[in-house]
Amino acid sequence: MTKLFPTTVVGSMPRPAWLLTELKRKNRGEISYEEFSSIADEAVLLAVKYQEDAGIDILTDGEQRRDNFYSFVADKLEGIKLMTVAEVMDYVEDKSRYEQMLRNLDVPAFAIKSPVAVGPIRRKRPIALDELLFLRKHTRHEIKIPLPGPYMLTRASWIDPVSRNAYWDREELAKEYVRLLREEIIQLRDNGASFIQLDEPTLTEIVYGEASRQTFMCAAIFSKIDPKKELNFATELINKTVKGITGVKLGVHVCRGNWSRREESLLKGDYGPLIPYFQEMKVDQLVLEFATQRAGDLSVFRDVSDTRELGLGVVNPRTSEVEREDQIISKVEEAIRYFDPSRIYLNPDCGFGTFAESPVNTATTAYQKLEAMVRAAAKLRTKYGAA
Amino acid sequence: MREVSANREKAEELNVWRARVRWLGGFRGRAYVRDHTFIIDEPADLAGVDTAPNAVEYVLSALGGCLTVGFILNATKNNIRVDNLEVSLEGRIDNILTFLGLSDQGHPGYREITAKLYVSSPADPKTIEEIWRKTVETSPVGNTLARNVNIVPEVSIVE
Repeated sequence: MTKLFPTTVVGSMPRPAWLLTELKRKNRGEISYEEFSSIADEAVLLAVKYQEDAGIDILTDGEQRRDNFYSFVADKLEGIKLMTVAEVMDYVEDKSRYEQMLRNLDVPAFAIKSPVAVGPIRRKRPIALDELLFLRKHTRHEIKIPLPGPYMLTRASWIDPVSRNAYWDREELAKEYVRLLREEIIQLRDNGASFIQLDEPTLTEIVYGEASRQTFMCAAIFSKIDPKKELNFATELINKTVKGITGVKLGVHVCRGNWSRREESLLKGDYGPLIPYFQEMKVDQLVLEFATQRAGDLSVFRDVSDTRELGLGVVNPRTSEVEREDQIISKVEEAIRYFDPSRIYLNPDCGFGTFAESPVNTATTAYQKLEAMVRAAAKLRTKYGAA
Repeated sequence: MREVSANREKAEELNVWRARVRWLGGFRGRAYVRDHTFIIDEPADLAGVDTAPNAVEYVLSALGGCLTVGFILNATKNNIRVDNLEVSLEGRIDNILTFLGLSDQGHPGYREITAKLYVSSPADPKTIEEIWRKTVETSPVGNTLARNVNIVPEVSIVE
């Protein structure tokens, strides 16, 4: 994209109530994925309309077909089973950590589902190609496809001993995800996606997720991890996934959780400990939350500025009040101290409906926040150069 | 259940429950209940080896189990479908130091227990709340905890 300060979204938009009803029917096995997906087409059109009307440059389909940003792979891959935390707890040793998390999140074990590797993983359907092909028919805008990252998928779906039926260790499972994601990225590129974003929100959990703050996205490894080793593993997986792929913008999105509007229940801490690993990641753009104060200061880029593009989070998806243009502009100007204006994209901190059943905002507020972002981008373009 | 309501003797039988607990050494015990057994231990902080829940945790679990059964019983009686149900309990001991002989203040029993119901059901929230209220009100374990139960200490010294 040649214009300065392109605007985009991280991924999800709130789903209409009728879509959630259909999603439940699909999850109960009353309708097939194909039947559900054809109903979801209508919701995607709404999500596209909201983004286009707000003036967003690079659109997603609002993740309307997904129950959340990573569990949806259970519909796409053989060998993955959606298991409730209640089922997972029967297998894991550290049950008390799960119990602690359930209490922290105030949720029952039957309500949280995680995609668990229970057999050899094979592609049953494309992971996101169907989303792209539908979008291409209905918008002329550039398209971003968010994909769960290889580390996220590995971490979420490796449960010992269930996963050992097919993979001896999680490194073996990770190889499979790297292979599948590479194939998908190449297909998405060849079919016209302009931006592919790998979602790796659990990277902050490695650094800041003490037991009581962890989420179920981590599956079963918890405190047994060595943060440095884990971050190296994640970086290596991302690099293997994108190795040699050109012709499409590749990004990594990191945040601190987006399951609740209670800011105090989400992780807190700056990107400092992740900077060395960001430097190693062979991607074009880092899509990072910065509207929330929990993400710390942009000065963490002081010594490493301008080596990547920055997808700058300028609106908080979880708040009711819409950010003022001057707030957004001042956040961007803070980023301009460390990044050339040509390398800055504007986006919300995260999705507006990361988890289908518990969106963090209404469609109306999401739309107003996107509009505010677009207005601020227009003013910034006038100030910093031609559109 | 019809049999129980029609047969007084049967109902009287169900008024009496029994358990035996045998000391296994340390702070561990094994409970024998009809054809079932389970271990009772203490966490390391209370000088146990943490191979099983401790007695007060069993009390919470017993209450949770009782409320689960009670909710399903009352929902069924009212022809209400329950898709999923979980009860999360937390109890606060008045003063654990009293149990350990390190304080005279308060008592070593639960001061308060919170029982939170998570339920998936097509019934309206008001009906669910009413059934939950009724469940707590008629819970045998709930009533045991909420009322003063008379504990009769007996002893037999075995040669």
